[in-house]
Amino acid sequence: MEHLKELISRFSCAYVEDYKKIWIKAKLNSKDDLLDVAKALQTEGLRSLSTVSPTDFAEDGIMEINYFFEDLDTKRNLWLKVDLPRDEAVCEIESLTPLFASANWHEREAYSMFGVRFLHHPDLRDIIKSEDFRDKYPFRVDFDWDAHEKETVANVQQIVDAFKKEQSENEVDLESDSSETILNWGPTHPASGPIRLRVHCDGEEIISIDPDIGYVWRALEHLVTKKDFIGAIVAVERLCFMDNINSMVGYAMAVEEIAGVTITPFASWMRVLLGETARISSHFMGMGVFFNNMGLHTLAMWNMDTREFFLDFLESYSGARIATAAIEPGGVRYGLDMRMFDELQKALDKFDANIDEVEAIFVKNPTMRMRAAEVGRLSADEIHMFGLSGIVARASGVKTDIRIDEPYAAYDKLDLEYITQERGSARDRFVMIFEELKSSVAIIKKAKQHIEEAVANGEMNPTKDHMVKVPKKLPKGEAISRVEWARGEVLMHLVTQEKAKSPYRLKMRAPSFNHTMMLDYLLRGQTLSDIPLIFGSLYVCQGDLDR
Amino acid sequence: MLKILDFFDYAKSESLWMAHFCTGCCSLEMAAAMGPRYDWERYGYMPTPTPRQADVLMITGLVSKKILPALLRTYAQMPEPKYIVALGACSFDGGPYNDSLAVIKNPTEILPADVFIAGCPPKPEAIIEGLEAVKKKIKEGIPSAASQGGLWKEMEF
Repeated sequence: MEHLKELISRFSCAYVEDYKKIWIKAKLNSKDDLLDVAKALQTEGLRSLSTVSPTDFAEDGIMEINYFFEDLDTKRNLWLKVDLPRDEAVCEIESLTPLFASANWHEREAYSMFGVRFLHHPDLRDIIKSEDFRDKYPFRVDFDWDAHEKETVANVQQIVDAFKKEQSENEVDLESDSSETILNWGPTHPASGPIRLRVHCDGEEIISIDPDIGYVWRALEHLVTKKDFIGAIVAVERLCFMDNINSMVGYAMAVEEIAGVTITPFASWMRVLLGETARISSHFMGMGVFFNNMGLHTLAMWNMDTREFFLDFLESYSGARIATAAIEPGGVRYGLDMRMFDELQKALDKFDANIDEVEAIFVKNPTMRMRAAEVGRLSADEIHMFGLSGIVARASGVKTDIRIDEPYAAYDKLDLEYITQERGSARDRFVMIFEELKSSVAIIKKAKQHIEEAVANGEMNPTKDHMVKVPKKLPKGEAISRVEWARGEVLMHLVTQEKAKSPYRLKMRAPSFNHTMMLDYLLRGQTLSDIPLIFGSLYVCQGDLDR
Repeated sequence: MLKILDFFDYAKSESLWMAHFCTGCCSLEMAAAMGPRYDWERYGYMPTPTPRQADVLMITGLVSKKILPALLRTYAQMPEPKYIVALGACSFDGGPYNDSLAVIKNPTEILPADVFIAGCPPKPEAIIEGLEAVKKKIKEGIPSAASQGGLWKEMEF
């Protein structure tokens, strides 16, 4: 860490300081140094760029760009800031994509939403936002949403026109006597969900893939700024419904850090318990989707059966199966009636009764092994290069897990170990989900036992300890928090103004964004029939892809 | 003659197939309704990958501006008679995304729904109940709402 600090100090910085245990926070005085800093960091071993997050300070006329560099091996991280002028004509900075492949889509997103131009970016096009926002930057503070909304029908017409134009150009661009064609995979493909892949193929062989995303774009990052700190939970949990608890945990941690609140041990154990329940419910769907995309629907049905029991527990705790809104800044929303653990026990029993059969039939399935063991392989180097996280990273043998690297809630009290696979193929990612499912159940059992014992000893009071008061108005500040989500790393960057009632800026870095970026890289030269398989194995959810 | 028509309405209503098209998060609960615990195939419902074989189009939650043309095109590809079921708060008034301007707040003004299912997301039981309401509508010979009007007739997609 000291070495890294010294390395940054060599450049002209406004400040270089320690932040949390494994972060260094620094601000560059000049944007001209950025490329040199980035090169030095890469040599130092910080090979992944987690995300690029602009914050628009309209009053000061400043666009502040935040870069989050990570080293997945030694767990050293750097939060680097640099100021740009806000004026659209001069709001530009050198692109880091030539150095960090993972920056590609993140820079495109910053360009689309804030109008920050990245010089020498190989492919600086709009992403996520729909065609009616062309040359408009919706996340800028002074963007007039009301005026834009009045024209809804005309806006839709603009989207239709752009789509039709694109389709007609496809036919002109390709030579009529070649066997090349451009194919739309989705958004109505049964395996795709709301995403469209423009597949340029020659017969069966894929030449390139250009994912067109944004079909479920809800502008969540902008939506939270219109709500108060509690109301923002509604938007945050809808990052993706499959694992909504952990995204709320991340947001709550950022708010607590700014408010200077520490939660009770009971609340932190409940966050582990609920978080792992949500992770299990997500992993069950993920495994089901993988087999569904190969055309085998039995596993999805089996998993859905067991998953229902875990949802029952969430329902008995919060009143809702999926949209639980169970985590709040300051703890967990509800007290615990110990009888709710009976529901959880039922789920655990059901899991234990079924899991061996699932393993024998599906995980060791010879057909699946032959089909998936060689496709979609990612090496450890590529994981670093593209900033991948979660099960995709661990399937390639990279030891990264935020529950262990930067423990939150009560994960530091659990003796966790990295679970990894070696070869990084589609099959390894599937096995990875399965192994993690088992480890999540083990964590739940430990957490449940711990809470039961502490309640019996009188150390915890399950009806009163769940919440610490967090003030409604927060001081000026900013914080980042990271959680290990079902699909990988979620990084929340929260900025507040003095006496703020609502977030000024919340950046949610979600893993599916990076994983979808990989499709083009993985599928070039493969055949069309590999698309569903590899897409399914990357465990993508459109909710957190578009936000 | 009347009796034969009644028979066709009955047959139609007892094997409703859904176009497999997800526009938002409610599709997760739709998947749960397909699962073993709720098992909507007991009632004759089934998802079908192509709109050409579908009787019912489900608006599963939010409709963003970008997906609306695809939704309308899917609807146009379905053969008559066809019905629309709107799931969740989003398809009624934008729901939790009411403040977000990337989302269309009144998709059912554009594509009128025959049945609304409340919830965010609706529980699987509610989804099945909503589909039962579609059955009833078909048996009573009531024409679908989208065939009677809606902005979609004037829009290009």
